Order: sequence, then C-alpha cells, then structure tokens
Amino acid sequence: MALVLLLAPLLTGYVRKVRARLLRRRGASVFQPYRDLLRLLRKEVVLAENASWLFRAAPYLIFTMTWVAAALVPTFATGMIFSWIADLIALIALLASARFFLALAGMDIGTGFGGIGSSREVMIASLAEPAMLLVVFTLALVAGSTQLSFVAAHMASPEVGLRVSLGLALVALIMVGIAENARVPVDNPSTHLELTMVHEAMVLEYSGRHLAMIEIASSIKLLLYISLIGCIFVPWSLAPAGAGWQAMGIGLLAYLAKLAVGGFLLAMFETAIAKMRVFRVPEFLGAALMLGLLGTLLLFVSRSL
Amino acid sequence: MLGVLYALMQRDLKRLLAYSSVENIGIVFIGLGLALAFQANGMDLAAALAMTAALFHVFNHSLFKSLLFFGAGAVLTSTGERDMERLGGLIHRMPQAAFLFLVGCIAISALPPLNGFVSEWLTFQAILQSPDLPQWGLRVVVPAVGGLLALSAALAAACFVKAFGATFLGRPRSAEAEGAREVDAFSRAAMAGLAGLCLLAGILPGFVIDAIAPVSRFVLGESIPLQGGLPWLSIVPIAESRSSYNGLLVFVFVLSTAALTIYGIHRFASRALRRGPAWDCGFPDASPATQYSADGFAQPIRRVFGTLLFRATESVEMPPPGELTPARLRVGLRDPIWDLLYLPVGRAVEYLARRLNVLQFLSIRRYLSLVFSALVTLLLVLALWR
Repeated sequence: MALVLLLAPLLTGYVRKVRARLLRRRGASVFQPYRDLLRLLRKEVVLAENASWLFRAAPYLIFTMTWVAAALVPTFATGMIFSWIADLIALIALLASARFFLALAGMDIGTGFGGIGSSREVMIASLAEPAMLLVVFTLALVAGSTQLSFVAAHMASPEVGLRVSLGLALVALIMVGIAENARVPVDNPSTHLELTMVHEAMVLEYSGRHLAMIEIASSIKLLLYISLIGCIFVPWSLAPAGAGWQAMGIGLLAYLAKLAVGGFLLAMFETAIAKMRVFRVPEFLGAALMLGLLGTLLLFVSRSL
Repeated sequence: MLGVLYALMQRDLKRLLAYSSVENIGIVFIGLGLALAFQANGMDLAAALAMTAALFHVFNHSLFKSLLFFGAGAVLTSTGERDMERLGGLIHRMPQAAFLFLVGCIAISALPPLNGFVSEWLTFQAILQSPDLPQWGLRVVVPAVGGLLALSAALAAACFVKAFGATFLGRPRSAEAEGAREVDAFSRAAMAGLAGLCLLAGILPGFVIDAIAPVSRFVLGESIPLQGGLPWLSIVPIAESRSSYNGLLVFVFVLSTAALTIYGIHRFASRALRRGPAWDCGFPDASPATQYSADGFAQPIRRVFGTLLFRATESVEMPPPGELTPARLRVGLRDPIWDLLYLPVGRAVEYLARRLNVLQFLSIRRYLSLVFSALVTLLLVLALWR
C-alpha cells in the first residue's frame, strides 16, 4: 500500500516528462508532482462561502477509497494479506464510490463549471463502468474466480494460452482505463479551457490540502489501472504467494519495468491523438462496451465446444 | 434499465424514486429468473445463490427506498416543493436529513460498503455461474443481461448524483428552498433507523443471508452455505477461491484510513482555512440560475441513450434579434413501451369494438339465430374436445 502511494506521483511525473520529450520540450523533472503535492499540502485552503461539509469531506473519502482499491491490485506479488476482503467487482464499485463523491463535490458549490464536469463525468462513467464489468466477466470466466490474486495467478500459469476473448478484454480495458483516468482522447488532464474539461471542471473550486488529496487520488488511479493491466495481461515474474526475497525482488523490478513501459505507451498514445468532442466519447466507450460483451459472449458460447 | 433511464429524465423527486423502483424490481426479477433457470437444470447451489440475491435485494430495496421516500417527504414538508429545479442548497438548511438521504443514495447506487452493493454483487456472482447452463438461448442472453445490469447500476448512480446534487447541493433556486427548516425529530429518527439498517446490512451481510437461507431452502430445497461463522464476517457464496467479499473490513479500512489521513494532514501539514467567494474560473457572483439544473445534468445521458430509445427531440426557439423574450429549449420524450405495447393493443380493441358494433342493431330474429348458432358451435366444440 505504501509502495503505491510513493510510486503514484512518480508515474504521473514520468508520463508528463515523456510527453514533453516527445513534443521536443524539456519538461519538468519527474519529481515535480511530489513538490506540487508538498506545496499544496502546506498551503491554506480557500473555501467557497457556501461549501458544505460534503465538500470538505469528499477529498479524503475519494483518496481513501481509491487507495483501498489500489491496495487490492497485486503489484509484484500475488499472495497479499488482504486480497480476500474484496474482489474485482468490489474494486470497480470502490472506484465508482470515489467518483460518486467527486461528482457530488462538483455540484456542491453551485457553479456552472462544477455542474458541467459532474454531468459529463457521470455520462462517461455510465458507459465505462459496464464495459469494465464485462471485462471482469471475461476474466472471471477464464480464471474461474473474481478474486484478483487468483486471476493473476491463473493468468501466469501456462494453461491459459492465447484467447480471442482475452484480446478483446485487453482492448476494452485499455479504452476504459483511458476514459476513467481522464486521459487525452476523452479528457485533457492539463487543460483549463472551459468547454473541454471534465475532471478539472469538478475540482475547480478545490485548493490547498483538499486539492492535494484529489491530485494524489487521480495519480493512484492511473497507477492502479496500469498495474491492473500489468498483473492480468503481462503476469510474468509476479512473485507467487510465500515466495522468498529473491523472487520478490525480481517481481518488484519487473513491476517497475511494466510501469515504465505502460507509462511510455500512454504518453506515446496521447501525443499521437487529438481530443474528442464530448459526444464522440459515447461512441468510443460504446466500442469498449461492445468489445467486452463480445469477449464474454464468446466465452459463454465456447464453453460447449 | 428503462426504469432508471426514465428516472434520470424526471424533475419530480418522488416520481424519480418511483421510476427507480421499476429498475430495482427488474434486478429482483433477474435474480428470480436465474434461480428458475438454474433449478430447471439441476444446479441447486447456483439456484440458491440467485434466489438469495433476489431476496436480499427485495429486503434492501425495502430499506433504502423507504429511506429515500422519507427524505423526499421531509423535503416536501419543509419546502412544499417536489420539483428539483426549484430546490437546491438544502444541505445547509437541513444537514441531518441531507446526510441520511445521502446514505440512501449511496445504498441504492450499489456502492460499497452499504447494502445495495451486496445484493448486486450476489446477482453478478449468480450470473457468473451461468455458462454451465446447457441451453444455448440462455447462454447467449445471460451475458447481455449481465451487461444491462451493469449499465443500469451505473445509470442509477448517475441518477442519484443528480437527485442529491440538484436537491441538496448548490445554491437555493427558489425562496422556498431558501427558507427551508430541518424536519422534526421523529421523521429524522425514522430515517436514521433505516439508514442504520442499510449500513448494518451492508457491513454484516452474512447474517441477512443466513436469515434468508430457510426461505431458499423451502422454495428450492437448497441454500447457500451458512455465512455467519466465517472468519471476519466475510461472505463467500461458493468457494473462497471463486469470490469473497467483506463489507465490514472494507468499511473499517476506508474509515480508518480516512481518519488517519485527516489527522496526519491536519497535524503535520496545514490546517489553515479561509472562506472566500467561489472561484468559478474568475466569474464571481453569478446568480443561482447559472447552476446546472437537474434537466441539464441529465442532458448528456439523454442524448446518448434517449435519441434511440425515447426518440428524444430537442429544439431551441431563439427570439428574433432585438427582442428581449428568453429563448426556449423544448425537450420531447416518447415512451417506446407505450408506443409499441399499449397503443397497438388499444387500437386492436378499438377496431374490434367498432366491428362488433354492428351486432347491436340487429332484429330479434337475427339475435335468436345468433344465440342458436353460438350454442351449436359451443356444443360442437365440446363434442370434438371430448
């Protein structure tokens, strides 16, 4: 859990750096997000006059729910102490709770921007969440479990092999991950242009330590999705339960390598593509939904063959 | 699914709740249908799981829907309004009722660690059992049902963000909402009791499942294993390697981490706080009318799903330049069920009635012969039946 917290800002900084280099800019240091967070934590909070208790409680809830969800994803070893308390479906639902509070916080002040952000966010979520659940269905049917540790262990075993459904699920999961993390074709994390922002519009009124909480929560979410994709679709060198220090060390190195590759690919993708109009997003996510459904359907039908 | 989409389009708080009941009953029927399908194929354990999920959802629905209706009633008594477009900002005037309504919203949106999530989770687990069904038709339909269930859960969350956000958050949109008062202690106590039950059923689902087990055993002759004695009160419907969920620990983790974070940050970072006007990208002091309205909030979803399903139409009537009348946005919705199911039936009945109308104006001879031929026909039918 602590590892996730420490690595998340680094990953965000790394993705930003790679993006900047690809655009032939120097870019800020990879450690810049840590400095931003520390600065935000030290600053005082400027709260809007009509902010309610919900507005003040939401950042902490968002942060903890995302963090608990991230703690359920195996990073470099599969045998985790608390992996049995919740499965993949619960993980998605935890992220959904975090989003629920974020959307409510966006509406709390009663400004136009907060509303526009929340409204678009729930629209995106209403498509991304089922797509994600269908991906989970596919995985659960392949692995015979919705328990993430078991899924990862099963995927690492040699009996899985190549499957069409898994390919479809991977593509769908990547699309959902891009949408959920407010990355480029769906939302732009670095914009403050009114008409294009979704995530940023909701957190517009936040400042100081509250903003720091939300920023680190979104970093953790990005890390969560990349490690999820890593542990399910590239499960090699995950240390099995009860492995020695050596296996753990190899697993950790492999995990860092996976994060680096994932972050690099994300930055590549972001520089290569333009942002979509908001009403093109449903088509993008609809495709993810259909891919997920197709993957599940293939598995359901192929059981008898 | 259609129910929740309807709920999203509603402005009236109580109507929204009523439409969302349609969605919840749909979830219950998914569970019951799966139970029947499993039982017909001799998969007793899976049938018991589906049955438990359905009954659990009935129980949950009775809790959180009553809570939400109480909340809507509290809003109605203190403001006299049910139209969300005229509410807003009630969280400042009635904070306790707002908190309790929020608990209901979280529960009905199937978010952990409250009870709505547990029953949806059980339903999903039941759906995941279904590839072993032998019928092809079912096997094609069930994943689609799973997808729709996921979609309706996400839409329910959107719907209740809208309901809570438009009613309780933001700034008041009318004088009635401005002058709202907290409702009396008895109504609040009733809501608090239900909210407490929601939380208890969410974090200790094992006991509810055990309470349902006799029913399931009575109906299906099988029940899922007893959950009460499991370590840490988690629930494991089939086997631990398949799936398990522990609401209590999730709840404890979230709360304790949140408390620690708040303490740590306030202790070691800063606790300074200043109130200022809202930032809003540098446009201060806009009127409450610039807030997102409940209709506006649902607009993206209406455009995504509504154009096909409800044939939603939007038209803007702009006044000619120089005139000071406001522009109007008109939204039209049509109910596909009304169009495709009720209207044809109604038309058929009307058509038949018009045709049979001729029979009213016959002579007595013809009536007698009609009765006679009817009698003969009926006797013939009876004779042939034997």
